[in-house]
Amino acid sequence: MSDLLEQLVHGLTLGSLYAMVATGLALMFGVVRLINFAHGEFYMLGGYAFWYAYAELGLPYPVAGLAAVAAMALFGLAYERGVIRTILARTWHVQLIATLATSITLTNLAIIVFGTQPKEVPTRLSAAILDVGGVRMAWQRLLVLVAAVAIFAGLEWFVAHAKLGKAMRAMSQNREACAVVGVDVQQVALATFGISAGLAAAAAALVSPLFNIFPDVGALLTLKAFAAVIVGGFGYVRGAIAAAFLIGIAESLAAGYVSYAYKDAIAFVVMVAVLLVRPQGLFGRRIGI
Amino acid sequence: MALFETRGLTKRFLGVTAVDAVDLSVEAGELVSLIGPNGSGKTTLFNCVTGYLPPDGGRVIVRDRDVTGVAAHRIARLGVGRTFQLVSVFPRLSALENLLTFLQQHQEENVFARLVRAPRVRRLEAAAVERARSLLDSVGLGARANAPAGTLSYGQRKLLAFAAALMPDPDLLLLDEPAAAVNPTMIEQMKTQIRALHRQGKTVLLVEHNMDVVMDISQRVIVLDHGQKIAEGPPDVVRRDPKVVEAYFGR
Amino acid sequence: MRAARWVLASALLVAVPWIVAAALPGQQRYILHVLIFTALYGALALSYDLVVGHVGSLSLAHPAFFGLGAYAAALLATEAGWPFVVALPAGVAAAAVVALAVGVPMFRLTEHSFAMGTLGFAIVTQIVATNWVDFTHGPLCVTGIPKPQVAGLRIATLPAFYWLGLATLALVAVLYRGLTTFRLGRAFHAVRDNETLAAAASIDPLKYRMLAFVIGGAVAGGVGALYVSYVGVLCPGELTVSLSVNLLVMIFLGGVGSLRGVVVGAAAFTALPEVLRMAPTWRMVIYGLLLLLIVIRAPDGLEGLLRRGGALGRRRPSSSGA
Repeated sequence: MSDLLEQLVHGLTLGSLYAMVATGLALMFGVVRLINFAHGEFYMLGGYAFWYAYAELGLPYPVAGLAAVAAMALFGLAYERGVIRTILARTWHVQLIATLATSITLTNLAIIVFGTQPKEVPTRLSAAILDVGGVRMAWQRLLVLVAAVAIFAGLEWFVAHAKLGKAMRAMSQNREACAVVGVDVQQVALATFGISAGLAAAAAALVSPLFNIFPDVGALLTLKAFAAVIVGGFGYVRGAIAAAFLIGIAESLAAGYVSYAYKDAIAFVVMVAVLLVRPQGLFGRRIGI
Repeated sequence: MALFETRGLTKRFLGVTAVDAVDLSVEAGELVSLIGPNGSGKTTLFNCVTGYLPPDGGRVIVRDRDVTGVAAHRIARLGVGRTFQLVSVFPRLSALENLLTFLQQHQEENVFARLVRAPRVRRLEAAAVERARSLLDSVGLGARANAPAGTLSYGQRKLLAFAAALMPDPDLLLLDEPAAAVNPTMIEQMKTQIRALHRQGKTVLLVEHNMDVVMDISQRVIVLDHGQKIAEGPPDVVRRDPKVVEAYFGR
Repeated sequence: MRAARWVLASALLVAVPWIVAAALPGQQRYILHVLIFTALYGALALSYDLVVGHVGSLSLAHPAFFGLGAYAAALLATEAGWPFVVALPAGVAAAAVVALAVGVPMFRLTEHSFAMGTLGFAIVTQIVATNWVDFTHGPLCVTGIPKPQVAGLRIATLPAFYWLGLATLALVAVLYRGLTTFRLGRAFHAVRDNETLAAAASIDPLKYRMLAFVIGGAVAGGVGALYVSYVGVLCPGELTVSLSVNLLVMIFLGGVGSLRGVVVGAAAFTALPEVLRMAPTWRMVIYGLLLLLIVIRAPDGLEGLLRRGGALGRRRPSSSGA
């Protein structure tokens, strides 16, 4: 029984990771209708930034984490300005190929700069074990879940109350109307990318102590995050979060009880299964985030 | 026998009933217009009837065949031609090739014969080109036959789309706002073309906002409002119907 | 006159091994090796262009079909002792069957989802190839794949492989040309350029998308089978997402939708890094940046640039056979 519960805890950790990454993807799609194939690389680079700040510069954990988030937020802004803005008006083929190309470039640059050996970033919390009635887990896992929930709550508040957040929601519902009404669509798009990249970096800072960082980590992550976005109903953030947890738990249970080697295929299987039965996603195609 | 009819056709979107149990029928050889205020469900009805949207209820019958929910390409194959509200052509193909594309599915199916370009196949293809050229001439685009469709003006593309829909010689033609967004000369040309089709015995159902066009050429007018049929009859009668007046002005 | 040029060009291409032996004797092995890869990649790129360039389905599943054909042929040859002339068609068939099975659910998806779905399929195929060690040997690779024997002749020398590769490329080119002109080509292009209108013209978009997808996948499988018979070894690392990126670079570099463009793109893509002797990771960085640049600035690729510059003469209408 404690085995099952430990698998579930692991599933929640995975779910938190996928949810944070999927949220960024869903936000970008909601606001500018673009799928960023390089999104997993935001996580990967965020992870390396965190590793550098924490392991190389020796900064305290929270500071290193925030530094990584800030660095990636800036990267996200630069990415929007440099790459995204030039392809926003183009067909989705061009957008897809362009972001895919960026993904490959970033991954290989990471191999060149950091090497292929995974970076381990153990923290005090990832080493300390919490025992709850026979179920053992690293304290870090609790932190991941709590932080994820806090982040999602913060996002909800942001979209409902903050000027920028409300503008993001409005843009995701009707872009043309926003431009007419005076919303600075370019600014909002820029900010969305900064936030999405920052979210991915936060996920990296929270999860890397448990899972390590390596250049290829982005590819599978993009796929799983996308699976969550699709299963949840394109562009609908809450749906993506729920779907992400579903996928995380399914993957963990599959790894434990079916086969560890094929666990990565689970997200894909869930995605195709849902799409065949309910093409609009589990929670329907909502308009707006 | 009605060439085309809908019985209780219904379509809903996210809680809004766009087409509400509409019964309509068109006899062979009739020229009928479908009118109604914006948002009354005309184009949605067109899309349900031509296979682009699956209806939520009711039936669509073409020549005594139930084609409810049948895919668009199969309905087209049955001899139903249509144009689109936002003019639609194949931009990279020439005007001539646009028309040829509309005929090819109705031609020789024997793959082997086509591979070896048997004489019969070559004759069919030559006949197709003949027909395409003459159609282009009849809409005044003969000189632009080899121009890529994307380089034509909006009005020219509208005429091209019209000619393309005629290429497979459909019995039933559904025209979605043929007089929209074009200059008065073009509108006159459209009216002439549609009248010519009518004289040839073709059945035409058109959706139109331009009341002059509707009153001028239609034999019968059907009025939709909020997805429901509210009136039907000869143009003069419908124009004076209080329900129709209220639908257009009473809000 | 055109026929004479064709004959001359063909004769030259066939004579390449001797020309190279005479002109650059020390380099013969290396040059032939590059040319063989060029021919194989050219055929693969053409099969991919059929799907992406002519019917407009942005599939990322091609590496999986290449791999399926490769593994089918490799395993049948090494484990079951099947001769090349049977293993190759088996590879083609395996890829075709899977393409059919995968295509049905995939084409229910739109645009981004389709791309992601095919990407997911490719990744899962790679995962299976890597982990099903009992069957595919996983990272230990399938080794000792025998050289092909065609009509009693054993194809073991580089010139022989070169001619086999050249014949394959020629065959695929003819198939490609046949599929993308006249009625079929018009149907494909109609679906690509305006799917809604294509349906109004009685053209079934699903049927034509599936046709291109399955044929493209089948050819990819065939190239995979040929590839393993040349290289002799097959590892799961051959089916990565990078191959999709490479294929995209090839077709966009040379000119998507154009036979000449794609072959030129494949040739440039294969020859260049050999000339520049780049490390694999730097190569991918350059390709990524190159692809990004091409797709943003010149989506027609090299062909488009040359056409616009007038170097290739006036453009004839796309696919008319009339």
